[in-house]
Amino acid sequence: MEDERVFSDICGGRLALQRRHYSPSCREFCLSCPRLSLRSLTAVTCSVWLAAYALFTLFENSVILSAAIFITLLGLLGYLHFVKIDQETLLIIDSLGIQLTSSYASGKESTTFIEMGKVKDIIINEAIYMQKVIYYLCILLKDPLEPHGISQVVPVFQNAKPRLDCLIEVYRSCQEILAHRKATSTSP
Amino acid sequence: MVLKVFFPTCCTSAESGLLVGRWVPEQSSAVVLAVVHFPFIPIQVKELLARVQQAGRVGLAVLGTWCHCRLQEPEEGLGRFLEGLGAIFTHEPWLQLCRERGGSVWSCKALGWPMSPGAPSPAPVMLIFYDQRHVLLSQLHTPATLPDPQAGDAPPSVGGLAAVFDTVARSELLFRSDRFHEGPVQLSHWQSEGIEASILVELAKQASGPTCLMLSFLLSLLSAVGACRLFRLWPLPFICSKLSTCEQARHRLGHLTFLFSPRKAESPVQLMRKVNVFFSLLLDVALGLALLAWLRAENCIGQLADALVPVADCVAEELQHLLQWLMGAPAGLKMNRALDQVLGRFFLYHIHLWISYIHLMSPFVEGILWHVGLSACLGLTVALSLLSDIIALLTFHIYCFYVYGARLYCLKIHGLSSLWRLFRGKKWNVLRQRVDSCSYDLDQLFIGTLLFTILVFLLPTIALYYLVFTLLRLLVVAVQGSLHLLIDLINSLPLYSVGLRLCRPYRLAAGVKFRVLDHEAGKPLRLLMQINPLSYSRVVCTYRLPSCGCRPRLSWSALCRKLFFGELIYPWRQKAGKQD
Amino acid sequence: MCDQPVRNTNEVRWQKVLYKRQPFPDNYVDQRFLEELRKNIYARKYQYWAVVFESSVVIQQLCSVCVFVVIWWYMDEGLLAPLWLFGTGLASSLIGYILFDFIDGGKGRKKSGRTRWADLKSALVFITFTYGFSPVLKTLTESVSTDTIYAMSVFMLLGHLIFFDYGANAAIVSSTLSLNMAIFASVCLASRLPRSLHAFIMVTFAIQIFALWPMLQKKLKACTPRSYVGVTLLFAFSALGGLLSISGVGAVLFALLLVSVSFLCPFYLIRLQLFKENIHGPWDEAEIKEDLSRFLS
Repeated sequence: MEDERVFSDICGGRLALQRRHYSPSCREFCLSCPRLSLRSLTAVTCSVWLAAYALFTLFENSVILSAAIFITLLGLLGYLHFVKIDQETLLIIDSLGIQLTSSYASGKESTTFIEMGKVKDIIINEAIYMQKVIYYLCILLKDPLEPHGISQVVPVFQNAKPRLDCLIEVYRSCQEILAHRKATSTSP
Repeated sequence: MVLKVFFPTCCTSAESGLLVGRWVPEQSSAVVLAVVHFPFIPIQVKELLARVQQAGRVGLAVLGTWCHCRLQEPEEGLGRFLEGLGAIFTHEPWLQLCRERGGSVWSCKALGWPMSPGAPSPAPVMLIFYDQRHVLLSQLHTPATLPDPQAGDAPPSVGGLAAVFDTVARSELLFRSDRFHEGPVQLSHWQSEGIEASILVELAKQASGPTCLMLSFLLSLLSAVGACRLFRLWPLPFICSKLSTCEQARHRLGHLTFLFSPRKAESPVQLMRKVNVFFSLLLDVALGLALLAWLRAENCIGQLADALVPVADCVAEELQHLLQWLMGAPAGLKMNRALDQVLGRFFLYHIHLWISYIHLMSPFVEGILWHVGLSACLGLTVALSLLSDIIALLTFHIYCFYVYGARLYCLKIHGLSSLWRLFRGKKWNVLRQRVDSCSYDLDQLFIGTLLFTILVFLLPTIALYYLVFTLLRLLVVAVQGSLHLLIDLINSLPLYSVGLRLCRPYRLAAGVKFRVLDHEAGKPLRLLMQINPLSYSRVVCTYRLPSCGCRPRLSWSALCRKLFFGELIYPWRQKAGKQD
Repeated sequence: MCDQPVRNTNEVRWQKVLYKRQPFPDNYVDQRFLEELRKNIYARKYQYWAVVFESSVVIQQLCSVCVFVVIWWYMDEGLLAPLWLFGTGLASSLIGYILFDFIDGGKGRKKSGRTRWADLKSALVFITFTYGFSPVLKTLTESVSTDTIYAMSVFMLLGHLIFFDYGANAAIVSSTLSLNMAIFASVCLASRLPRSLHAFIMVTFAIQIFALWPMLQKKLKACTPRSYVGVTLLFAFSALGGLLSISGVGAVLFALLLVSVSFLCPFYLIRLQLFKENIHGPWDEAEIKEDLSRFLS
């Protein structure tokens, strides 16, 4: 079971939400941001090179030009490898845990797995971001020393920042699985 | 609750047989460790399990059956036979794992699950594949907030996935037998490729004990010599605490003592630390020897010695020019001419003294440098520390200028601040730590204001001298600081851990990650469990060695404050008692 | 709905409190709302000539500054021999010192408990330090431009006039700061003089005119008001004369300033007093009337 819907993020950009239901106890949500647009890349590169050329005409030192090329290349690599996140995935498996994956544009993946025993709940929260109030999904972790306390709040989809309608979609699905877990863990 | 079966990937192609592993009831998960092949005698299987159980203190059992149906081989009889085995090895729940039709279809049945008889339908089963070798060798790094799981005699109280890691690690005895091993019971599990070069390893193991003992004896002798009374006389400890070479040598001695201590490393963290220290030492000495070889090959020492005295002369000359510039009207500033002349002449005389000292030293410079170069075989860090000390000694005149300027400036600033309070008719109340108003006598007021006026008009001159010499001093301190940073980097870099992370990422695990393989309706969900390696920053953070610690830990704001008020800054750490 | 309880409980007296629930609308203003208002209870009636007499302190201080500047100008031009000024200053100081004790018959001295030995010591300290530092003072501001020094001196002398203790009870008054500013200005000006002896004598003169002379004035004003008026007039005329010898315009302006301060300003004060409307009431801050200092010690 797999379907895809289009939502928008808080700035109005396009986001694609893919939902995969592998089984009743295992679901995956995948939020994809638009890829790096060629236009902005060209604009940035051109502006850097033009600035370098202006400096070159001023000082007549060709080191500036080669340095500009190196800087743009390194900057692009660094941007793709460390900054630009293409896809964020939330995989929730009943009685095992929740896995958060963010894939960078260069293919690097950073994964965090949270065991179900540590998860207290999944909620939608409000936060002040710049000059507006946004909603975000977050996972509450249990405090190992105090059973009712919360030790940590892990925000989900931190890069994509989807709007509330998308978050509600994900939230409902996650709550179904969590409710199932609660029902089975209390019955025996 | 979903039943989870952890299945090693190396057993997927094994022949049909029995599943051996551990049942974790709290997690409702079965950790399969190995597959026992036909033919076997049940008693022998049980004996083997008991042996492993005793060695690893982990409850192993026969969990169920494994049926691998090859292509076009309908084995009806085998299935019935396997069902019958359930009567011999009783276990609740009894797993029946089956791989059919060329390995594309998996099925799993759990008899006697769920435990509660009232449950409506058979609970879903989840198959999780794991790489046995990775899980066995990896070292799980729990987040820093949790206390470390206790190793040794403590019962396995770890929860969650750590239980799986724990189970695999404890039943290491099971994997001891390699592929060519002929035993009463044929097992299928991860096997090492056999131990190669075992004679060399054995020899090294045998030799390491006495070597360590001898070396540690030598080291204790060395430290005993260092601790003797002769070195406790007054000037020596003071000088030693100021010279970074001594600090570095002491640090290295501590490392060696730690490395060759005959006690065995207790925890994996300590073992890792030992190996890291060893590699750091090795790198240090290798770099030092390379430096030494380079110095010898190019005859750099002679060139350096020839260049050193002219360079020192040149620096002194530049300083003279600077002072002459200051004695004029530098940058159009309004300096007090008389004070300017006095200060300038004083500093010029100092430079003159310094130049004659350098010239007195010049015949011995080459010899000194030669011996310094020899010290590189003790390690690059020692050579660098020596270099830092030499820089400090060669720029002693700058240090002197700085101290004079700072003392004068400090006096001036403090005098001005208290006289400014007098100017406003206030005073500093020491008892209440605040500024109080106060009525002064006429003569006190007069003298205070007179001095205040004089100090205000002399301030630019002193401040300029202080500024120039402080900048020079900061330059020297920055060079020394970068040298110390390099030394600290070599000292504290956990080379082995970083290499391990680079070549064997699964050895240092931050956790696990899952990948969904595929799923068909009515069949169990199949997941692949992989090791999530520790990030490089956390590797460095966790395993970094303690640095030498001869640098001051000053924040930038504190540094600026000290500079503004004319307090002395040192490249070495101040004693805490002195600051109080 | 709302009017009903108001009409029923019309007899209930309104109270000027917020903590009680009362049957009145929020914007209700009672007749008795401002009945505790008082006006001008602390206002005083001034007599014109009394105010003119009191303003003589300001006149004196203005004249002191004027005399100091005039003397400095003479010294700078070389028209006044420094030794002559020193001799005159010493003589007038001695006369002032004798007068200081003579006016109240030594009562003030007994009250303050200050011995003559302490006076001598202070005088010695003044002379010694000024003499010792005078070479330093001479070269102190060599590299600073003259305009800067003039600006600084004007600023400091203005500060001296502003912060001087004219007898008013205000927070801004600080006799210490005022005296210090005057000394600072005098040191700045003295450093411009041609020789170190000039500088020494200028600073000594500054102490005499800014520190010692106001003390004598205060005593004169308290004990013999008539002679004080005479001295003030004499001082003002001599200052005017000195200024006249330098610049006529300056003298006219200074005379206008003196007249306006001593005669126009009091007149204006008394006229404006009629428009005073100072309101008091229960909202005033609490004031502790009783002197509590005996409990504190």
